[in-house]
Amino acid sequence: MRKFVSLLALAALSTAGLADAVRARSDAAQPRPGGSITWGVTTEPSCFDPHRSSQQAAFFVARNYIDSLVGKRADGSFAPWLATQWSIAPDGLTYTFTLREDVAFHDGETFDAAAVKANYDFVKKPENAATAASLLENFTGAEVVAPHVVRFTLSRPDSTFLESVSNVKLGLISPKALAKGDLCGGGPALAGTGPFVFERYVRGQSATFVRNKAYAWAPGYAAHHGPAYLDRFTFRFLPEYAVRTGALTSGQVDVIEGVQATDVSLFADQPDFTLLVGPSGASTSFTFNINYTRWPADDVRVRRALRDGFDPEPIVRQVYLGHVPRAWSIIGPANPAYNKALVGAWGNDIAGANRLLDEAGWTTRDAEGFRTKDGRRLRIDVGYPQPYVRDNREILIQGIQAALRKNIGLDLNLRIVTAGEYAKGNATGTWAIYPNTDNPSDPARELWDMLGSKGFLYTNVPHPDPEITGLIDEALQATDPTRKRALTDRIQALGVEKAFIVPLFAPSWFLAAKKRVRGLSFEAGLDSPSSAYDVWLEGA
Amino acid sequence: MWSRIASRLLTSLVVAWASVTAAFLALHALPGRIEDILAGDVDYPGLREAIAAEWGLDRSLFEQYAAFVSRIAGGDLGTSYVLRQPVTEIVGSQLWPTVQLALAAGVLAVALAVSVALLTAGRGRRARKLASILELVLASTPVFWIGILLLMLFSFTLRWFPVSGANGWTSLVLPSIALALPTAGLLAQVLREAIEKTLDQPFVTTIRARGVGEFAIRARHVLRHALLPAVTLGGWLIGGLLGGAVITEKVFGRPGLGSVTLGAVLTHDVPVVLAVVLLAAFIHVAASTILDILYLLIDPRLRAA
Repeated sequence: MRKFVSLLALAALSTAGLADAVRARSDAAQPRPGGSITWGVTTEPSCFDPHRSSQQAAFFVARNYIDSLVGKRADGSFAPWLATQWSIAPDGLTYTFTLREDVAFHDGETFDAAAVKANYDFVKKPENAATAASLLENFTGAEVVAPHVVRFTLSRPDSTFLESVSNVKLGLISPKALAKGDLCGGGPALAGTGPFVFERYVRGQSATFVRNKAYAWAPGYAAHHGPAYLDRFTFRFLPEYAVRTGALTSGQVDVIEGVQATDVSLFADQPDFTLLVGPSGASTSFTFNINYTRWPADDVRVRRALRDGFDPEPIVRQVYLGHVPRAWSIIGPANPAYNKALVGAWGNDIAGANRLLDEAGWTTRDAEGFRTKDGRRLRIDVGYPQPYVRDNREILIQGIQAALRKNIGLDLNLRIVTAGEYAKGNATGTWAIYPNTDNPSDPARELWDMLGSKGFLYTNVPHPDPEITGLIDEALQATDPTRKRALTDRIQALGVEKAFIVPLFAPSWFLAAKKRVRGLSFEAGLDSPSSAYDVWLEGA
Repeated sequence: MWSRIASRLLTSLVVAWASVTAAFLALHALPGRIEDILAGDVDYPGLREAIAAEWGLDRSLFEQYAAFVSRIAGGDLGTSYVLRQPVTEIVGSQLWPTVQLALAAGVLAVALAVSVALLTAGRGRRARKLASILELVLASTPVFWIGILLLMLFSFTLRWFPVSGANGWTSLVLPSIALALPTAGLLAQVLREAIEKTLDQPFVTTIRARGVGEFAIRARHVLRHALLPAVTLGGWLIGGLLGGAVITEKVFGRPGLGSVTLGAVLTHDVPVVLAVVLLAAFIHVAASTILDILYLLIDPRLRAA
């Protein structure tokens, strides 16, 4: 909204004939190399190796030293990066990439087709147990066609494959480094081709990166070419909100990530600071995933009552002070695959929700006012794993809990569980409601993750819904974009219609920085801040 | 003499073995299989089997236990499941910052407690009451809150000290004050009570009769008597400092064993947890030995026994 207002203001200025003045000002502030910054971040990655990590916080760090074969633009299309061009066979089973010939890894190794093959083979090899292998489900092998031409073969068409190739998880690491052993600990041993070299990691404190002077292979969507502007930059791990905010206001760090809604006013429209709000839900929305095979949520009427028994809008506004929107679909509004038809199409029908529960036989009430049937209370657990609790999301759920109790007498039982308890519920398929956001950026892959028959949520649930899982399997193989789009739209609608999911809000990244830090932006493929490649310092 | 040392060593070994065993059993009694936790929100056919094979989780619990114990006995602490680094390296790199913090806070807490207790014991009711209330407030305030308040005042507003990290002494000042204050509060209460009790003893009257000044009486004679109960608290103090370090490290973004331990317990990272437990057992044994020696130094009557 704020962005929109300032755009309007800008438009007004130019129509008033001030466009020249505006242009002159931006000319005065040309990017220039030099300087260093410190960036306060929320989460310390437990592993810096993109092939092995499963934390979003790690991927956004890794983008600074890891490049991919192709890059993903904000509109969902792909740009050349380490591959100058690529072709896909008509049967969708072979992908041929022509590679740049001037690229070198940080440890001096040459980047070529053999290096690409080494990386993909490493990830695919079962003994390595690399998390990135989940993206290579249909990949059967890589072949060196020429020193700088590599060909991948798939076992069946995969509409998400190019997206996976663009993902940092399948980014390229020096084959020599791969062979040396575990790279989770970061440091110079973790040699990629990225614009920054991983200089030093101090566990519990910071990670430092220095400019890769040889860098001349920026992705097609980058704002400039050649080496990065900054000489050096440091990520400081500051897990406490108040501490990050204080560290920035007192000038001890230059940029912070994870600005709390209550602190936004300290940075927005302030003379010394800039607030940057990222795209809302560029991958998925924060969503209740309801296990529709477990009592009492195996009854569609109960699920629909839960979906319609509260109004998410005021609760989201209260918790996030109007800085993020409520969600309508599991796919986020900033994602090109967002099904806009769902906006306003469901929810907040308390009378209808009560009717559904009456119909379903939940007609008696217990002493605390909750609905009961055959002496059992209408209770559904929300098992929220403690390591994932962040961003006041548990407060949001408490708000919904109170509303559902008051409106329809449903006991939404929020339980903050350990990672172990969550893993057990998942492994036995006995979880009830799992609240989460998911970050692979291909929409079919996201839907598969959360609702697919072999996605991580339903893989251990016996007899998942054949209709939705069938559509997802089809979408995964639909290499025709129009067909794929129709399928992902239908799956989103079906998920809400059958109330397998209840989308809650579309989270966004909030960055705050000193005014002189310029060139910060967000990356579509990662749904996170971009690397520091385009960042520069005014007056450096 | 030698037999005492030998039995002490033997007890330490038993303590170490018992705590490692207890920690191993406790971790496996918690819900969730380790390979499921390590896989997290990622799944593909064969992932869990590969993880289990990688860390030997597919073997029987007893085999895993035996492997751990024999490896630890040989001095090999293994590799972290989550951080995928040698445990010796992880614990080694995090140990010094935590020890530094705990030592600084411990010394500060003792110095504060002793001076406050000496100055306020047996003085006017008002002064005592005030000191006592202040101590109670400090002793019951969470370290977390004190840390944030100290940061707001001295780092964010006055900018005297850096927010965090472990870069030189300036970054140690605020965390050690935050950690020391609650401990100092409790210690001062115990100490003042003991000093007041001792001040009523007949020997104090005798010393007073010799014309010794009030402060000298307190610092030289009374304090020694009053120290015994405080030293007994010492064991608790070390535990409290190490426990409080977890939170202090998080607030100040300091490296240290605290966050590593917390993360390891939450993710069932058995090798790291066992190493930390072993370390804690060692510290416990060392601390109780030092306390025993302190008793002897403070109270000559015990030496004869």
